[in-house]
Amino acid sequence: MSVTRFTDDTAQIALDKFRAGRIDRRAFLTAMAGLGLAVAARPTTAAAAAGEIVICNWGGAALEAFQKAYGAPFKAATGINVVVDGAGPATGAIRAMVESKNVTWDVTDGGMVDAVVLGKGGFVEPIDYSIVDKSLVGPDMAAEFGICNYTFANVLAYDAKKTGGKVPAGWADFFDLEKFPGKRTMCKWIQGQLESVLLADGVKPEEMYPLDVDRAFKKLEPLLPHIIFWEGGAQSQQLFRDGEVTLGNIWHTRANLLHKENHDFAWTWSQQLLFSSAWSVPKGNPAGKKVFDFINSSLQPEGQVTLLRLMGNGPSNPKALALMNDDDKAVYPLAPQNVATALKIQAAYYADNEAELQNRFLDFISR
Amino acid sequence: MTHFQRWALALTLPAAVLAIALYVFPIVQVLALSFLEPKPGFGNYVSLLGNAAIGRVVRTTIVVSALTTAITLVLSYIVAFAIVHMPRERRRVALFLVMVPFWISVLVRAFSWITILRRNGVLNSALVEAGAIQEPLDLVYNQLGVVIGMVHYMMPFAILLLVANLDDIDRRIIQAARSLGAQPATVFWRVWLPLSLPGLSIATLFTFIFSLGFLVTPALLGAGRVLMIAEYISVQISSTLRWGVATALSTLMLLAVGLLVAIAMRHPAFRAAFGGGHR
Repeated sequence: MSVTRFTDDTAQIALDKFRAGRIDRRAFLTAMAGLGLAVAARPTTAAAAAGEIVICNWGGAALEAFQKAYGAPFKAATGINVVVDGAGPATGAIRAMVESKNVTWDVTDGGMVDAVVLGKGGFVEPIDYSIVDKSLVGPDMAAEFGICNYTFANVLAYDAKKTGGKVPAGWADFFDLEKFPGKRTMCKWIQGQLESVLLADGVKPEEMYPLDVDRAFKKLEPLLPHIIFWEGGAQSQQLFRDGEVTLGNIWHTRANLLHKENHDFAWTWSQQLLFSSAWSVPKGNPAGKKVFDFINSSLQPEGQVTLLRLMGNGPSNPKALALMNDDDKAVYPLAPQNVATALKIQAAYYADNEAELQNRFLDFISR
Repeated sequence: MTHFQRWALALTLPAAVLAIALYVFPIVQVLALSFLEPKPGFGNYVSLLGNAAIGRVVRTTIVVSALTTAITLVLSYIVAFAIVHMPRERRRVALFLVMVPFWISVLVRAFSWITILRRNGVLNSALVEAGAIQEPLDLVYNQLGVVIGMVHYMMPFAILLLVANLDDIDRRIIQAARSLGAQPATVFWRVWLPLSLPGLSIATLFTFIFSLGFLVTPALLGAGRVLMIAEYISVQISSTLRWGVATALSTLMLLAVGLLVAIAMRHPAFRAAFGGGHR
């Protein structure tokens, strides 16, 4: 009991200091997170006055990387601090925040699909293109409720030790148990999963959408006993490290981390599944319009290349390519040598169908 | 009511008001969503009834919880029985060992089980090296792994409940049985076991109800293959935004648990256990 009371008390002290302006919001949030109270006691009304931009992303190494790639340049240009909160901007979390009128994030790092879903529900502001320069990003990367901050891909990763040095050519090999014996891993979140199955079944990229779900399930069913499903990036990495799987449909950023750790782990860009991540602005964000200046600043190529070097996240600004060396290009999904056989994941399709599909998929794999 | 009792009651009032304001009210608010989202009416409940997928989730949850409960109870009874027969010092050590897992987060425990049970894990490697098996066994990323993880989580609770109960059994009855010529096995089956029924019933109910709500353990040790109600609800809340369905399912689960407790309380063993100490 005394521990709880002490924590409450410490939180109160921090809150008081914050209100009196003696510590900044970042220190406050850090203190709260340390006490496990991040959600319980957040200063909301005071936040806008603090003159900061709060990004919400998925945490981990991305906390520091976002600070370096996006926060530092913005701070240098405007003097405004950027705070990164790694709580994870799940659509449910954003909805809860907006509905309770308790918004503490200025901009969230979700997918383009999330942006469309949240936009439809009225939980995010439209991107203000009078401030944000659309021409900074590549084609199809600027949407009404989200603008692409970086790209990433689901790739076919493999353990070269287990494949005997053989390189899988594409998703058809994922299903070839004779050529590549051993377990596989796929993601239990639906985006980019059925696409790989349908590509393996011979569906042409241009005929991919709407997905032929029945066909995908039929193709996938015999493989199910050989698949372990991952739900977070760290877990997909661990399955390879543990020697549990031979092949995997995982994020290119995780494949890259695996490769850095041990060169037996590699991946092929062949038939990569290409995603756009996107900034969205929750309705009623504390910093108001100022956030769009930040978004614009985050689309500058220099910061984006910094993020690529730190995390592997691919720049959305085509000009970034000119700043890259060969090592950078090797992990950049949109580099010309990598993108040839890529399939673009269609955000509009998922915005309409994801809920239904996700439930069907969970039901299918847990039967 | 005496003056003192009135005072005592008055002292609990602030706690009651807080509990209603901070706990009961928000729960009711959440449950009300099941009738309001996406449009007012019973639509969510109707759609739940005809949904084969949710039927499967419910079945998985019940099967896994029942298995967990059965195994937990048998193992915990053995441990508890041993503990109450230990000398004081050793007993303290044993109880301490039982308590240790309490202080370790459920996440850490799930990952530890993965380390032990995976194909190249501690257990499989040992078995292969000892020549007991040729191929590693599939011990995790399936229902078996989930049940192992859940049993491990539930055992300390069940053991503590059972130790308290077994400790309360009057040893003079055991001595009487022995002095009248009963063999140890007879003493166990006809004296210990019947007298520990209240403890066993409480531990069963507790373990089963607790198991129904497991989230992290099935998600990690089941690796997508074992979908239980709590995870299904969490997916609907945080990613598919079907809050109506999620809250409807939560309401039904709350009702089911309430019903279970109500039925159990009709049994004298439960009333005795909840009455506690009145012998």
